[in-house]
Amino acid sequence: MLTRYSALIFAAGLAFMLFVLFSGLPLGAPGMVVGQAVLDRAPAEVGAANIVTAVVLGYRGIDTMGELAILFAAATAIGLVLGRSRGSRHCPPAIQPGGFILRAGNDMLFPLLLVVGLYIILHGHLTPGGGFQGGVVLAAAFVLPVLARPTDMPSHAAMAWIEGLAGAAFILTGMAALAYDRAFLAPLLGTGEMGALVSAGTLPILYLAVGLKVGAELASLLLSLTEEGGD
Amino acid sequence: MTEFTLYTFLAASLGLIAIGIGGVILSRNLFRIVLALSIAEAGGNLLLVLIGFRHDAIAPIIEPGRALTTMVDSIPQAMVLTSIVIGAGVQALALALAIRARASYGTLDMGIMRARMEADINRVAGAESAASLHAPASSSTLLTERKA
Amino acid sequence: MNHSVLALVPALPLLASFLLPLVPGAARRLVGPLTLLAVAFIGLNLWPLVQTEPMVLAVGDFAPPLGITFYADSVSALFVIAVALVTLVLWPWSGSDAGNLDRKQSLTLILAGACGGLAVSGDLFNVYVFYELAAVASFGLAAGARTAAAQIATFRYVVIGSLCSLLALLGITLIYVQTGTVNLAHLAQLAPLKLHNPLGLAAFFMILLGLGVKAELFLVNTWAPDVYATAEARVSGLLAGLVSKLALLAVVRLLVLIFPLPEARDALLLLGMLGILSGEFAAFRARDVKRMLAWSSIAQLGAAFVAFAIPGPAGLAAGLAVALHHLLVKPALFLLADRWGGSLAQITGAARNSPVSAGLFVLFILSMLGVPPLPGFWAKYLLLSGLAAQPEGLWWLAGAIILLTTVVEAVYLFRVIGALYGRDHTVTPKTQSATAVIGSGVFAAVLLAVAFSAPLLALPLNRMAVQMADSAAYIARVLPPVLPGVAP
Repeated sequence: MLTRYSALIFAAGLAFMLFVLFSGLPLGAPGMVVGQAVLDRAPAEVGAANIVTAVVLGYRGIDTMGELAILFAAATAIGLVLGRSRGSRHCPPAIQPGGFILRAGNDMLFPLLLVVGLYIILHGHLTPGGGFQGGVVLAAAFVLPVLARPTDMPSHAAMAWIEGLAGAAFILTGMAALAYDRAFLAPLLGTGEMGALVSAGTLPILYLAVGLKVGAELASLLLSLTEEGGD
Repeated sequence: MTEFTLYTFLAASLGLIAIGIGGVILSRNLFRIVLALSIAEAGGNLLLVLIGFRHDAIAPIIEPGRALTTMVDSIPQAMVLTSIVIGAGVQALALALAIRARASYGTLDMGIMRARMEADINRVAGAESAASLHAPASSSTLLTERKA
Repeated sequence: MNHSVLALVPALPLLASFLLPLVPGAARRLVGPLTLLAVAFIGLNLWPLVQTEPMVLAVGDFAPPLGITFYADSVSALFVIAVALVTLVLWPWSGSDAGNLDRKQSLTLILAGACGGLAVSGDLFNVYVFYELAAVASFGLAAGARTAAAQIATFRYVVIGSLCSLLALLGITLIYVQTGTVNLAHLAQLAPLKLHNPLGLAAFFMILLGLGVKAELFLVNTWAPDVYATAEARVSGLLAGLVSKLALLAVVRLLVLIFPLPEARDALLLLGMLGILSGEFAAFRARDVKRMLAWSSIAQLGAAFVAFAIPGPAGLAAGLAVALHHLLVKPALFLLADRWGGSLAQITGAARNSPVSAGLFVLFILSMLGVPPLPGFWAKYLLLSGLAAQPEGLWWLAGAIILLTTVVEAVYLFRVIGALYGRDHTVTPKTQSATAVIGSGVFAAVLLAVAFSAPLLALPLNRMAVQMADSAAYIARVLPPVLPGVAP
């Protein structure tokens, strides 16, 4: 009991301390030192209408590379922990097969989810959304069939190929800039016309790689957890 | 957005962080610990978005043909994307570890598991200790838990 | 040399780890070692270039501070080489299960990439990303022993790690709100105006606790003994030897560039002293060799924190010496303790079965204690003379604690030596594995080479420390005189 109360007091004290720390800050009117410079220069330097995309893939592209690697590391680590080695006996999970409504709904939703996911990814440099958000929708498209028809799961091998190739495509696109004597991850191919689908140089290619990678990564993550949870 | 809503958001994000950290300390159940972690991370992410907010500004997306107006800071938004992805990966890994640990120890109680872990480490090391008095893994607890 | 090679330090290992599961056949086993050799090659080429003038890369050609910058001085170059070579020595060459071996090799490559990124990154948020990447990879490797105990130990590690990362993220948020930038050079420029206040210090302490998890800082190091006792020896060596040093380097960069304040130094000094005390006494009480090594590693990193707390180049030189010495000694000891892990009774008489590795073990232990010709002595000497040069009582107290705990260290380490060469054994001790002997032999060779060339190394060490301490040069090198698009 004592630990409970002391933990509660600790949490309350922490909240108070954080509130004191943050309440004096200029909320609603940030200093915008680098932020304003990015807003001013991004249209000319990157050419993406969505400036968050310009930051994610341009100004802070290395962070995104790190993120992809974090997802890959998490999926690999989960594979290692849950320990179904490749090529070993495949136990079908003991989930009940879905009913008629779930199966029929899945059949209708699957193509729609694919289209929506790809649309969000390909318009990432123009509208809100992008590789991460679209990738999650793609992953949902491949996880939904697992609920409807647990007996035929998507194969891990195919996922592994998409994971590897999409991640490699991101880094290789970054390295391509070296051939033009530019710095790693420098945007190539010009900025194009602002707001057009084919614009912002290599950004759509990078976002496509991110989207496929995130989708495959999340799908294989969920599949590993499902296979294990079925025991 | 008025000052009042802004500070409500601030209080909410800090409150989520405090609830999450308190939850991690208070819970003994592995699954609840993971949940508390994700609550705390949600608070941190909300805070990060909040500091990029600017009064009378629009989302940082340029629409052709519209005059440029003030936009909110886009850098915290990019950072929060990163931090959400990191959180998702770490939480999935924690869940996988919890699943495995339950399969081998038959419980999700952190206290019992830590005692068992100590006993296991000491047994491998060949040193005996008070902790080894607990029943070894794969004994009765596992069966009762499974039935329950 | 194109400056973009700096970006290849993290990018090459990540690329290799993405592609490793797709490479067919026997070539798959070559991917990792070849990549690490390539990174080592980059590091070795970097080393002479950055001696006089550090190298700066604006990633994506975006002028700093808008984009992310990579910055390599001689310390970074040294750590890039160390990351590649130490990972190569501790590489998972073989395993019982091919699929799991692939995964371990992928994770090890990611760990190497993240550590390389930490060595060269010049952006606060980017440091956080690479730190998290190293964290996730090390969680996976720590759980890779696949025993139930390892999984629980790793779970606690994950919980402590992600809570403290959240704290670090809050610290970064606090810094960003006050300055509007996350570029280290830009922050260093703005710090005297905007960050040298209680809020800035609060942010520093949050980031210190966050990055301190991997650097085994006192308060957030409770995961270490359990993880090191349950993980594979290779992994313990990587975590204690390599990852902790890179986290330490990130903290020191912050301390030197942004928070060169007495309060920040005092915090490092106090936490370091507590780490030394708790580590040495817990190691004294530990009954099995692996946990003894884990606790003594906490104590030695505490000493490194104390050393880096000393102001000026003297402190950096001492800290680098302590950290690099620990980098050489601890992985080798973990490798040797793999087969001998266990109570002292289990290793009694082990020297008769495997005299070479017993001899290596004694060599490393003597260096750890600071017996004169060995590098450990020079590290301790630099540390103590640095502390003695300080005017105040707290520094001298730290020196006294280090001297006193050396006695404690000697007692428990000589207990192990006594057991190794003991006669009255009840259990036949296991013989050493070839990989452990070869791996620790490599470390021993480097250790002896350093011992014989110690007088020659004083000059480069000092030059590195002076270069690292010069924050004005860092700012001038990264930022152009007039910032593009940023109002002064």
